[in-house]
Formats: sequence, C-alpha cells, structure tokens
Amino acid sequence: MTLQHYLILAALLFCVGLMGAFTRRNAIVVLFSVEIMLSAANLNFIAFWRYSENPGLLHGPLFTLFAIAVAAAEVAVGLALVIAVYRHFKTVDLESMDTLREE
Amino acid sequence: MSEEIAFWILATIAVLGALVAVRKRNLIHGVFALLVFFAGLSGLFLLLLAEFIAAVQVLVYIGAVGVLLLFAIMLTERVAGDDGRRMVSRGWFWGLVMAAAVFVVLLLPAIQQWPSPETAQPIKPSVEELGHKLMNPYVVTLEVLALLLTAALIGAVTAAQGVRMPKEEDSPE
Repeated sequence: MTLQHYLILAALLFCVGLMGAFTRRNAIVVLFSVEIMLSAANLNFIAFWRYSENPGLLHGPLFTLFAIAVAAAEVAVGLALVIAVYRHFKTVDLESMDTLREE
Repeated sequence: MSEEIAFWILATIAVLGALVAVRKRNLIHGVFALLVFFAGLSGLFLLLLAEFIAAVQVLVYIGAVGVLLLFAIMLTERVAGDDGRRMVSRGWFWGLVMAAAVFVVLLLPAIQQWPSPETAQPIKPSVEELGHKLMNPYVVTLEVLALLLTAALIGAVTAAQGVRMPKEEDSPE
C-alpha cells in the first residue's frame, strides 16, 4: 500500500460527500454528507502522518482528534438548527426555505 | 499480502457505504449505511496504525453521531423519507458536474509520483505518547476544545428549544 492509494480513496469519499451535499434536498442528508467529507479529510491526515518522515511527533492523530471533536460539536449544533428550522417551516426540505429570495 | 486485501475490502465498504448513504431515499436506511461507512473508515485507521483514532471514530461517530442523526430524523421528517416528492434538488446535474470536477482536481496531485514516501516508517503505536503530547504542547488547544464543546452543548440546547411564545399552547411532547 502506498500513500497514493489512501489519497485517491479520500478524494473519492470527499467527492461522494460533495455529491450528496450538492444534489440532495433534505437538510439532514446534507448534514451527514458534510460529515462524510470531514471524515475523508481525517483519512488524509492519518495517511500523511503514517507515511511521513517522522511519525513519532503524532501530528496526524492529534489533528484528527481535534477535527473529530469539532465535527461532533458541528453535528450537534447543526441538528439542533435543523430541528429549530423544522419547527418554523414544518419541513426540512431545503428548497422550500426561500424566505430571503427576492420575488 | 494481507494488508492489501484488507485495504481493498475496507475501501469498498467505505465507498459503498457513503454512496448508499447519500443516495438512499429512506433516511433511516441512509443513516445505517453512514454507520457502515464510519465502520469501514475506522478499519482503515486501524490499518494505518492509528488505533486510538479508530476507537474514537467508533465511539464518537457510530455511537454519538449516529444516534443523534436517528433522533433528529425521528423528530422531524416522516421515517420513510420524502416519498412522492423529488429527492434531488433543482440544480442536481450541475452539482454532479461540480463534484466530478472537484474529484479530478483532487486526483491530479494524488496520482503524481513523489520521490520519497513510498514505504511507511515503522512506528510503535502508543496511546500514552498521545496523552503526553496532549498534556505538554497542546494543552491550550485541549482547553479551547473543551470550551468549544461546552458552548456547542449549550448552543444546541438553546437552538433546539426554540423561542417560547407566551400565547403558544404547545402540547408537551
């Protein structure tokens, strides 16, 4: 296994997440597509760390740990916002939330 | 090579899980496919000898985020998903084109041949070293992160609680 394998896999996973975020209408699906993208970035961090010159510094796992914590905070706040928006609009369909659009 | 076989199996699981997660109409099935994706990714972390990150991935993502997503789905949409209506957004074709373009852009540096890092350095995985690193140079980051998690907790509760109208007579769920 070389570093390239992991980088290509991470790029593929990132683009699957991007595809979900771009093409779906449900706010929750968009939220977990963003989670897929974040996880692909974490895979890149770990792969670069594993194949780096000096893995003893543990930069990759530390950064990934912080990124996972931030992602957990993000998904908690994001889902709370989705629930708040659902209260207001009675839907989580992103295309029906167009109050700010000029008519 | 058992490592290569493990890599290909885990990579297939991760990619298929992610694809099913973003394409499923039924949201509950989508979340379970997402959990399969997280499990595959955690196996890849194990393969890269980041065993603590793999454990954290299982605990945080499969444990907490999965349950949180399931609760959010059950609190909002019908469980069967958006039946009848269109699943994809209006500009879905351009979304696909943009995702493919980003994939190509990300692939270009990834497939080039670099001089050095073909072989992985031998490491001895140790959680103890990670803990020492968290305490010695990264302690400020750790504290900021703790503050962020507390703020996110309070913010999530406040946002999900909503504005309480005085005249509104909500039935207590």
